This record gives sequence, structure tokens and C-alpha cells, in this order.
Amino acid sequence: MPTIDMEELIEELMQCRRCGICRNAVYDDMGFDGVCPIWRNSTGFEPDFMRGKIIIALALLSGELEKTAENVKALFQCTLCGNCTEICAASFDPKEAMETVRYVLNDAPNPVRDTLAKRVIDTNTPYEEGQEIKQNWLNELDFEVPNQSDVVYFVGCTAATKLHQIPIATAKILQAANVEFAVMENEPCCGSVLLRTGRADEAEENALTVAESIKSTGAKRVVVSCAGCLKTLRKDYAEKFGIEMPEIVHIVEFAQKLIESGDLNLKPLENSTKVTYHDPCHMGRELNVYDAPRSILESIPNLELVEMHPNRAQALCCGAGGGLRSYDSELAKKIAAERVRHAETLDVSALTSACPFCELNFVSGSKKEESEIEVLDIVELLSRCL
Amino acid sequence: MDASIIKQIEDIVGPEYVSTREDVLLTYSSSASMICDTAKPDVVVRPRTAEEVSKLLKLANKYRIPVTTRSGGSSLQEEVIPHSGGMIIEMMRFTDIKLFEDLRSVKVGAGITFGQLDKFLLEHDLWLPMCPESALVATVVGNVAVNGAGPGSSVYGSIAELVLGMEVVLPNGEIIQTGSEANPHAPGPFLRYAFGPDLTGLFIGSLGAFGVITSVSMKTFKRMKHFHHETYGFHSIDAAERFLLEIQEHEIHTVFASLYEDRVLDLFMSMLGDEYGIPEYEWPLRTVSMTIGRLREDELNSDIEMAKKICEDLGGYVIGITELPKGEWELKMWTFVRACYVHGWHWRTLYHHQPPSGNRKSVEKIWEVMDEYGFLGHTAGFLSGHASMNMYPHLYADPEDPEEQQKIRDGHQDLARRLFKTGAVPFKLAPYWKDILQEIPDYMDLLRMIKEVLDPNGIMNPGVLGGI
Amino acid sequence: MDPQALDQLREIVGDEYISTRKDVLLSYSSSASTGYDSQMPAAVVRPASTQEVSEIVKVANKFKIPVIPRSGGSSLQGEVIPSPESLVIDLLRLEEIKLYKDLRSVTVGAGVTFGALDKFLKVHDLWVPVSPESALVCTVAGNVAVNGAGPGSSRYGCVGELVLGLEVVLPDGRVINTGSEANPHAPGPFLRYAFGPDLTGLFIGSLGSLGIITKVSIKTFRRMHHFYYDTYGFPDMPSVERFLIELKQNEVHPLFASIYEGRILQFFMDMLGEEYGIPKHQWPPLTVSMTLGRMRDDLLQSDIRMVKKICEEIDGHVIGISELPRGEWEDRMRVFVRSSYVHGWHWRILYHHQTPANWHKSVDAIWEIMDKHGLLGHTAGFLSGHSSYNFYPHLYFFPDDPEEEQKVRAAHKELSRLLLKSGAVPFKLSQYWTDGLAEMKPYLELIRIIKDRLDPNGIMHPEVLPIPEE
Ligand SMILES: Cc1cc2nc3c(=O)[nH]c(=O)nc-3n(C[C@H](O)[C@H](O)[C@H](O)COP(=O)(O)OP(=O)(O)OC[C@H]3O[C@@H](n4cnc5c(N)ncnc54)[C@H](O)[C@@H]3O)c2cc1C
Ligand SMILES: Cc1cc2nc3c(=O)[nH]c(=O)nc-3n(C[C@H](O)[C@H](O)[C@H](O)COP(=O)(O)OP(=O)(O)OC[C@H]3O[C@@H](n4cnc5c(N)ncnc54)[C@H](O)[C@@H]3O)c2cc1C
Ligand code: SF4
Ligand code: SF4
Repeated sequence: MPTIDMEELIEELMQCRRCGICRNAVYDDMGFDGVCPIWRNSTGFEPDFMRGKIIIALALLSGELEKTAENVKALFQCTLCGNCTEICAASFDPKEAMETVRYVLNDAPNPVRDTLAKRVIDTNTPYEEGQEIKQNWLNELDFEVPNQSDVVYFVGCTAATKLHQIPIATAKILQAANVEFAVMENEPCCGSVLLRTGRADEAEENALTVAESIKSTGAKRVVVSCAGCLKTLRKDYAEKFGIEMPEIVHIVEFAQKLIESGDLNLKPLENSTKVTYHDPCHMGRELNVYDAPRSILESIPNLELVEMHPNRAQALCCGAGGGLRSYDSELAKKIAAERVRHAETLDVSALTSACPFCELNFVSGSKKEESEIEVLDIVELLSRCL
Repeated sequence: MDASIIKQIEDIVGPEYVSTREDVLLTYSSSASMICDTAKPDVVVRPRTAEEVSKLLKLANKYRIPVTTRSGGSSLQEEVIPHSGGMIIEMMRFTDIKLFEDLRSVKVGAGITFGQLDKFLLEHDLWLPMCPESALVATVVGNVAVNGAGPGSSVYGSIAELVLGMEVVLPNGEIIQTGSEANPHAPGPFLRYAFGPDLTGLFIGSLGAFGVITSVSMKTFKRMKHFHHETYGFHSIDAAERFLLEIQEHEIHTVFASLYEDRVLDLFMSMLGDEYGIPEYEWPLRTVSMTIGRLREDELNSDIEMAKKICEDLGGYVIGITELPKGEWELKMWTFVRACYVHGWHWRTLYHHQPPSGNRKSVEKIWEVMDEYGFLGHTAGFLSGHASMNMYPHLYADPEDPEEQQKIRDGHQDLARRLFKTGAVPFKLAPYWKDILQEIPDYMDLLRMIKEVLDPNGIMNPGVLGGI
Repeated sequence: MDPQALDQLREIVGDEYISTRKDVLLSYSSSASTGYDSQMPAAVVRPASTQEVSEIVKVANKFKIPVIPRSGGSSLQGEVIPSPESLVIDLLRLEEIKLYKDLRSVTVGAGVTFGALDKFLKVHDLWVPVSPESALVCTVAGNVAVNGAGPGSSRYGCVGELVLGLEVVLPDGRVINTGSEANPHAPGPFLRYAFGPDLTGLFIGSLGSLGIITKVSIKTFRRMHHFYYDTYGFPDMPSVERFLIELKQNEVHPLFASIYEGRILQFFMDMLGEEYGIPKHQWPPLTVSMTLGRMRDDLLQSDIRMVKKICEEIDGHVIGISELPRGEWEDRMRVFVRSSYVHGWHWRILYHHQTPANWHKSVDAIWEIMDKHGLLGHTAGFLSGHSSYNFYPHLYFFPDDPEEEQKVRAAHKELSRLLLKSGAVPFKLSQYWTDGLAEMKPYLELIRIIKDRLDPNGIMHPEVLPIPEE
């Protein structure tokens, strides 16, 4: 992590004019229908959206406000979804600034963050299940996957631990398209959660080892399932740590190319199905990947895609990001539930996404709502058409 | 009244502008309001300046003399009937007019009638685009004090919406100026909403209960010269009401649009049809008589076409009789008076507002009351703004038949109650709404609090404003 | 704050909707007003209904706690900064919208922003044709409370003129409706001027000092679909002023018309010209950027012809650059925010109204002050009604330069006096006008006595209006 210039950080934060537009702007012409998922799903006091968070950050930095667990709550009750950045007219990036503030204040009490960090550092996964089970999904596969290849499939902790159907579907897709691919023997954690929660130093250390072990697979291209891995490996490693990585692609981007080139042929779905698609923040706003997932869905015969509102760059967050799912899982689930409710108004059978972390949270949200909607990864739908 | 008080009054305005003569007092004991009780004041004063008014009010406060401010005396709902033992402050000597061409406004003294102002503005190719039908006697200030409406309101709303500010002598004698002119350095009236809460509105429709308005500043407009008069027929009430709503929605510049029932129109025609040269016609269930006006002819033509289309889309038809709306508009300062007088009756009116979609409710209630009480009358109404209609039902009585007059009074009160229940609202908050307003005690209480603040001794036209 | 009071408040809104946490209070200590001191309240509540607001106000009265109504928190003149030991009532949970199609009106709760209302009305092909440039955060109720103006005002006047009635919680906790809705049997809002004196106006521009507006009923119009954008150049101040007057006088009512001095325009263009794709141009000494809008195309064409004629008759010329007004209009909910933020300064604004004929007087005063104090700023504004022009001059300072900030504050105050002397009037009646208002004592006194009577304990936003003590 480059050293933080405190003066610059404060200057950045002072760029906030406290207008409050990032609270819940509805601007139909620009596609906004609300902004901050936290504000919408909490009790909605000022600290629940970016304006208040910045006021509090400045006071914490100046010492006006003591660094207690309560006073730093506002900093961590944020999914870093970047929707405030999207609408903010000022010349700074509030979401990035918040991430930096978390880093600068990483000595402030937050046991959840500390536990997560410790797990990642000690066990290579933020999940308590441990790293060992991250390869279990392979047992459910009816073919062997090597450890070395030009293409490495980096599964990611969430999919590998919690949602086996995703790596299984991904593997099947790659196989159907005759792509030779490998899976790492001891796949590390990309470290996204460290970065988001303010443990950038540890994240950097972690990144160096991750880069090293990916390199050792001989990969020229790394395929990921998770929007968080994608953003971290593709963007943060380069921009924050100056680490050069092989090409990092999301399976959705990769599959789109395979479909286009004719390497992947899709059979129609058995029953005609209507689905909607949720843009993961890390894929959409962060990396501008909006079209690939849509193009895949549209190329599936017998499937109709209807858009959620809001969508694309103005999409509301699933609620899981920025460490919120661990820090305040009730709130995270509430946010997911709201998005599920939005999907329900569309009369679709499934809410799809391209991020296991989103999906995991949507499953919780959908339970909360007692919704009938199926929560699916695009790869799951794709694998049904092979 | 104590002679010493009269002496003090004379000291303020000069003896020639004070009268306590019986015959004079008698002439001030009533107004254009018919079928109502009269009351004789003790003194009538005709001041010339705000300072004089200020002194008069201080005096009245000192001796607790009820004060009735009077301008044209043309009000129809008893608002200007004085109080026994009271003082009338008659404002007709406030005859200044000051034009602010660049500010698109004019400031008029309390004694200026609409007719006079119109003549003055005509020379500058300007006008105040709205006036009451009593324009030849009613003062602009008096109409602001009752918040009147009339021809022109269909586009410009009630007179309130044309006000930019006023000079008011408060009951305690303090003189204030509202709107942009509250700033003594202002070039004149150019904005009503200046200086925080809108105080101008407090005096609009205040019926002289909050203070004496000595001048009012009004918006002016370039005089319109292109008009089109037309009648539109409808076989359903729904379509006719809808038509009024849609011409507003489509921003057709209808300076005056009235909705008539067939039987009411027949009544008018039998009285005045010949005089105005209106052809015999089998009027449909509902007729809209309408004048469209524009500054530019191309705009007028666009409006005419659009109005026709809307009418026909609603299943109505263009009647083609222009004499009725033309008469209403061109003679707007007089026709209505004529229509009210020609039949020989006296009447009570029950000014109120409905949304266009509520028009039928008023019509229904009025017939109901007329049938139950057995008297004659009518109702008609005109569009009076964004989505409102001004209804002015008349209840007729023989001027010499006290029994019939009592019937009218009872029916009138009953009608007010029934109208309120249909969702209608008072146009002028005249005393006869009093009982009905008990249904909204908190609102009336707020009015009362303001009244008490401004006029702690309750000297200003006590009893008006629904009896607060 | 009295623990008993807190208990009672908690009972009204529920535990989760009251806070006395320091971080929370801190976040309510300021607003979009830059260049003002912050002040923490003692507690914040977020009621869900008019009923709750009413009960809260009753408790506040009982314990004599100053109450600060707050909606978007986007006000720029310090109006929503709390008093010490006060209770902030955050009204954003009042989000109901009710449309009355046949009455051409809509009623919105105090938490509804212009952006949200616009989206709602669009579905019905309707709109409220005026919105402030802060439309994405500012509530309709908050804008009524300050009597705002913005795009659309050049034709329709300030927001006050569109109001048909209000639901207000009075300082004693009673709830009243004004306008036609004062009649409980009324079908909804269809007329403001009902029931005698206009009480609606009392709360318009009251900055929350006379009561809390819980609902606003406002006129709706069919949405316009015919627009025309152009810029018009003028050699000098008299001609550009005449242009605006003549437009109005000839019933050309632009939706939005702004005068820019050449140097100010150049400054804006340097910052944002490219972003908005505005061609490079040698701007004349004065430019009017204007959006015309009409219900029908033939009417629009008539306006366009008329404008050209008027412009050319007074030595002006049609510039033909449409991107500037188009950007201002089409992106009206954001473009101003963008241009206010892009340069990085904080600022103090001095909202006021002049009449177009005196446009030059404000410009002269603003430059005089900027030159005298060595400050940067600008002089932009727009036509805001029948014959008024809304100025929103900004005086800039670096956010972390307290010395410069002090200079701006002093200059700002001086400017407000100068402006009053030039015949201008406040747009929003904030505290900094106080000095200049000495000449208007009886007027302010009237406001004061009304306030005293409605609010005998002086709990409603006690410090917000610049009214003299008794
Ligand atoms: C034939 C006829 C037709 C009419 N048509 C209409 C119509 O179309 N629209 C309409 O609105 N009205 C109409 N009216 C009613 C009447 O003309 C209006 O109410 C008018 O505004 C009264 O003005 P005035 O100057 O005669 O006031 P007055 O009758 O003298 O007074 C009316 C009220 O205003 C108060 N008042 C008067 N002057 C002042 C002042 N300077 N300061 C404070 N308070 C004051 C009085 O105390 C009283 O309460 C009509 C009347 C007649 C006779
Ligand atoms: C970038 C930007 C651009 C702006 N452009 C404009 C513009 O073009 N035109 C314009 O008019 N303003 C503009 N403003 C100023 C601001 O948006 C307005 O003053 C707005 O009306 C404030 O509304 P709010 O809901 O944010 O109210 P707040 O800031 O919360 O409150 C403003 C005032 O109203 C009172 N108040 C709030 N709600 C209520 C209520 N329900 N009942 C009673 N009192 C209440 C408060 O006590 C306070 O005095 C702009 C602001 C910004 C930041
Ligand atoms: S972060 Fe941006 S949008 Fe949010 S309050 Fe600050 S300036 Fe406004
Ligand atoms: S990043 Fe997302 S969650 Fe965080 S403050 Fe901004 S909008 Fe809210």
C-alpha cells in the first residue's frame, strides 16, 4: 500500500459539499432510483449514508470524535458499493476515500474485521470452514482437473466453500467448450476482504503470495467466478500494489467469447424461463462489465431477460460487500431482501447474478422474504443448456 | 359616540371628512348585500393618507370602537355592513395610481376601481387581466380584501395570484409594506415572496379584519387583443366537466369559461337573449360559453383548433353561437350586473369554489334546496384557476316580501351547509359560514390566534371571517 | 436533554428511531451550508407519521426543547443548523405520494424529493414544472419552507406559487390543513385561496419557524414535450435587461432563462465546457441562455419567432449554441451541482431577487465586494417569475483556509447590506440579512408577534429568522 498522504485524504474528504444527493437520489433520466442501500434499509439516520460517514470520518481523523467501536460503526456500515460515487458530482471518489479511511483508522476497534483478517492470514480463507474444504467440490465432478495449465480457474473462497454448484457448472462449461484448465491445489484467498476492511498492509503481503502461487501454475489467463476476486486481482493488485498479473477474466466474459466463437453451443432450456439479472458492484461500477452477462443470457434459447430497476451503473447493491455481511449480517440480509423484492415485481422465476457473494446474500434475503424466486448464477443457467 | 372622540377624529382628517349626520349614517348602514340586516354606524370618516388611518385606528383602539373599512360598498355577503356604534373608515379618497412599467406592475390606492385602473392602463397598452363583474364600483383593494375572482380568472386565477404586495395599516396603527417593497430601497413591486413567510396573503381575503389596506401592488400585462368567443355543447355532465379540466391541462388560454345548465341558460335567454342578440337555440344539457384570448394571433388559432378537438374527442360539439361569450367578455364590467338586475328580484348569493368535477354537486344541491324551500334561483359558475370553479348561486326573493326573504335566508344557510359537505370551499369567508366552520375548529383557532395577535381589542370588523 | 423527555420521545417513535449517539449528533450538526459553524443537537428523532410529529412537538413544548425540522439537509444558508440542546426532527420517513388527477394536483409527504416526485408523475405524463437544482436531495416540503426557485421558475414563479395547501403541525402540536383541504369533505387540493385569509403563505418561506410542514399539496401540469434551446448575445447591460422584460411582456415565458456575463461564462466553460460538449465561442459581453417550452409545437414555433424578433430589435443576436441551455435544462437536477463542485472550492451563497431592470445593480455590487476583498466568485442567476430575477452569487474559499473563509463570511455580510440598498430582496430570509433589515422593523415585528402567539414557548426553530427580540 502506498503511504497515505493524510493532508490529501482530508482534502479529498473536504471535497464533499454535504449536499446529501448520495442518500437516495431518484433521477429517472439518469436511471437512479435510490442510491445508498444502507440508508434505505437501516433506521436511516445521517451516518447511514455517505454524507454522514464523511462528517464522522473527518471528526475521527481530527480527533474530535474518539475512536470507539460505536463511533467507527458508520465507517463499517457501508458495502463500498460505489453508488454514491456514481451520483456524486464532486471531484473525488467517496467510496475510495472511505476505504482509505478504514485503512488509516485500522487500529479502531472492530473485532469482526480482526477475526476475518486473522482467518485470511492464517487459513487462506475468511470462512471458518477452513481452506481444506475448498477443493471438495471437485469430488462432485465426473472428470479430473489438473493443477497446471494455461488457463487457471480461480474458484474463490465463497463459491468453493458455500456454493459448489457454481464451480461445478463453470467446470462443465469450460469442458464443453474444450478449454483445458487447471485448478490450484491450495487456492489462496484473493484478499479482497482485507482490502475492503482497512487491512491493506496485510492485503499487500497476501497479494504478493497470491501472485506468486498463481504464477507457479504457469497460467496465462485466470478465470474467476467471483466479482470480488475479479476486481481485486485485475484492478487492485495492479493499481494499489503494482503487481503484474496474467490476464484475469470472469467466466461470464470468457463464456461470452466462447459462445461468439462457436466453441460453446447452447441447447434451448427445457421450459421457457423469464429471469432478471443483478449487476454486482465489483463487476459493473468497478469494471464496466455490463454487457457480457446480458449477452450470455440473451443467447440462451428459450430464456427472456427482463431488467431490474435500477440496473447497470445505477444498480443497488446486494448488501454483502465491504465486509458488511460479516460486520452486520442482519443489515446485509435486509438489503438483499429489498433487491429480491424488486426482482419479484418483475414476475420472473429467477434472480441471476455473476457473483457468488451476491448470490449467497440473495439466498439469505430471499429466505427472509419467503420468496419463491430462484437465486442463480449465470453459469448455472448456462450449464443447463450444454 | 362621545363628542370628544368625534373631535379627535376631526382633528385627524379635518371636519369636512367626518360625518355623524343621520342621513349619511343611514347610507352607510347597508351595501350591495341584499336580504340581510343593516346596522347604523356612529361615524363615517374619509381619510386621505395612511398616517391618518393609522391615527384613526389608534384612537379606535383607545376607545374600543368597532371599525369597518369600506371601499366600493359593493360586496354581496354582508362583509361591509357596519356595527352599531362603530366607525366606518371609507377609503375612496385613496386615488393614487403609480405605474412601474419596467417592473410590470402598478400600485393603486384603496379608492381605485377596476374601471378606473383599466382606463389608466389602457393608455399604456396594458391591463390587469382579471376583474370582478362589479368592476365599475368595486375597488381593487376591496376585491383583494375579499379575494375576488371574475372574468380573466380562468387563466389568471383569483385576484390573490396577481398581487405583488400591499401597504397595510395594522390595527395598532403600525404601517407596513409587504412584498419586495418592504425593502424601502426597492425600485417598486416586483416580487410578492420576499422576506420570509408570506405576509401579503394574510390580508388577502381578510375582509378588513386584520388591518386597513391602503394600497395594493398588482401585476400588469400587455393588453391582449386577439379573442375568440365560442359556445360548446355537451350531452353529458361528465364530458362538460372534463372539457373544462382538459382545456386547462392543454394550456388553452381561456380567459373566461362558464358552464351552464340548459334550464339556467333558458332563464337567462328569456331575460336577456334579445338584448344581446343571441339567436334562439335548443341548448344542450350543458353548455360551455368561452372566450379564448392571446397576445398573438397564431397562438389564438392554435388554441381554437385544440379546443375544438378536445370538445369533439369528448363527444361534444361546437355550437357556433358567439354572441353569448362575446357579450360576457366584452361587456364584462356590466353584463352580469344587467343579468342580475333585469328580473327585478333581490337575491342572496352563495359564492363558493368547486373543482370542475364537483360542479354537478353544487348544481344538485342548489336545486335540492330550491325545491325543498320553494323559491327561485339559479347557479352558474366559471373556471377560476388551475382546477377550480367559482360558483355564484343566486337565491331570489321579492324585495317587498319579508316572508319570502326569510325563506331565502334559511335556505341560504342550509345550502351553505350542504355545499360544505360536498367538498366545496368558501370563496369569501363571510359570516354565514360560521356554524359550518365549527367542523374545523383547529383551523379556525389558528385564524383566531392571528386575529388576536393583530387586533387584541377586536375592533376590526368583528364577526366577519366566520365569526372569529 | 431531560431523560424524561427522551423516554417520552422514545415511546413515540420507538427505540430505533431516536438517537443521542455522539457520532449521529455530529452528522446532524451541519448541512450543505459551507462556511457556517456547526452545532450539535441534543437528540435526533425520525418520526414516521404526522401523528408522531405532533406528539413529539407536544413533548418538546412540555420540556421547552427547541425543535429543528429537517428534511433533505441541503439548504445552503445555515437554515437547518441546529440550536444548542435542540431536538432535530428528521422528516424523511414521511414519504407518501397521492395523486389527484382530476384536481390537477398531488400531495406529498415531507420526505419526498423533487426527483422522486418527478419519477412518480412521469408515469402519468405529468410534472411539477419547477424544481430547485438540488432536486435529487431536496424535498418539496423543505423547498416550500424556504420558498425556493429553480429551473421552470422563469415561467411558473417560485415554488410558493404552485402550492395549493399544506398540512402543518403547529408549535402546540395541533395539525391543520390549509387551502381547500381545510374542508374535511373536500375531494383533495384544488384551491389555495379558500377560507379567507391565506394561511398557506404563512408557512411558505417560514424556514420551519412557525410549524412543521408534514404534507404539501402542489399543482401538477401535463408534462411538456416541446422544447427549444438557444443562446442570445447582447452588447451591454441595458439591452440584456430589456430583453428579459420584453420577453415577459410579450408573453414569451421561457422555462429557464439565465444571463451570463462574458467573463463568468468563460469561467464556466473552462471548467465544464468540454464535459457538456459546448463548442468554443467568443462569447459576447452578455449572453442569455434560454430554454423555451410549450405544450404544442406550433406554440413553440411562435415563441421562437417572437424571441428572435425581440432580440434583434434591441441590438442582440441569436448565437445559435444550444448545448449550454440544453445541458442546463435536460440535466437540471444535476448540472448545477456539477458546476458548483468541479472547481474544488467551498462557498457562501447569497440568494436574492432583483428585478431584471436592475440586474446590473446586483452584478455591480457583487463585483465591488469581490474586488474589495480580493475574492473569487460569480454572479449567475435566472429569471424567476413575473418580473423578478433570482441571483445566486457564490463567494469561494479553499476548504482548508480558515482565513479566507473568514474573509468570505465578512464579505458576504457586507454584500447582503449592499444588495438591500440596491433594492434587492432576500430569496430566503436567513440570519445574515439581519443588519440590513434595521429599516424594516415594523415588518419584522409583525412576524415576531405572530411567532410569539403561535409558539409561546419559542420552541420552533427559534433562531432561524432574523427577527429582533422584543
Ligand atoms: C353586481 C355585482 C357583481 C359582482 N361580481 C363580483 C365578481 O364577479 N367577483 C367578485 O369577486 N365579486 C363580485 N361582486 C362582489 C363585490 O363587488 C366584491 O366583493 C368587491 O370586491 C367588493 O369591493 P368593494 O370595493 O366594493 O368593497 P366593500 O364592499 O367596500 O368591502 C368589501 C370587504 O372588504 C373590506 N375592505 C374594503 N376595503 C378595504 C380596505 N381598504 N382594507 C381592508 N379591508 C377592506 C370590507 O371591510 C369588507 O369586508 C359583485 C357585486 C355586485 C354588486
Ligand atoms: C447543489 C445545491 C443546489 C441548490 N440549488 C437550489 C435551487 O436551485 N433553488 C433553491 O431554492 N434552493 C437550492 N438549493 C438549496 C436547498 O436545496 C434548498 O434550500 C432546499 O429547499 C432545502 O430543502 P431540504 O429538504 O434539503 O431542507 P433542509 O435543508 O432540511 O431545511 C431547510 C429549511 O427548511 C426547514 N424545513 C425543512 N423541512 C421542513 C418541514 N417539513 N417543515 C418546516 N420546515 C422545514 C428547515 O428547518 C430549514 O430551515 C441548493 C442546494 C444545493 C446543495
Ligand atoms: S459525497 Fe458527494 S453526493 Fe454525497 S454529500 Fe458529499 S458531495 Fe454530496
Ligand atoms: S459505497 Fe454504497 S453503501 Fe457505502 S455509502 Fe456509498 S452508496 Fe452507501
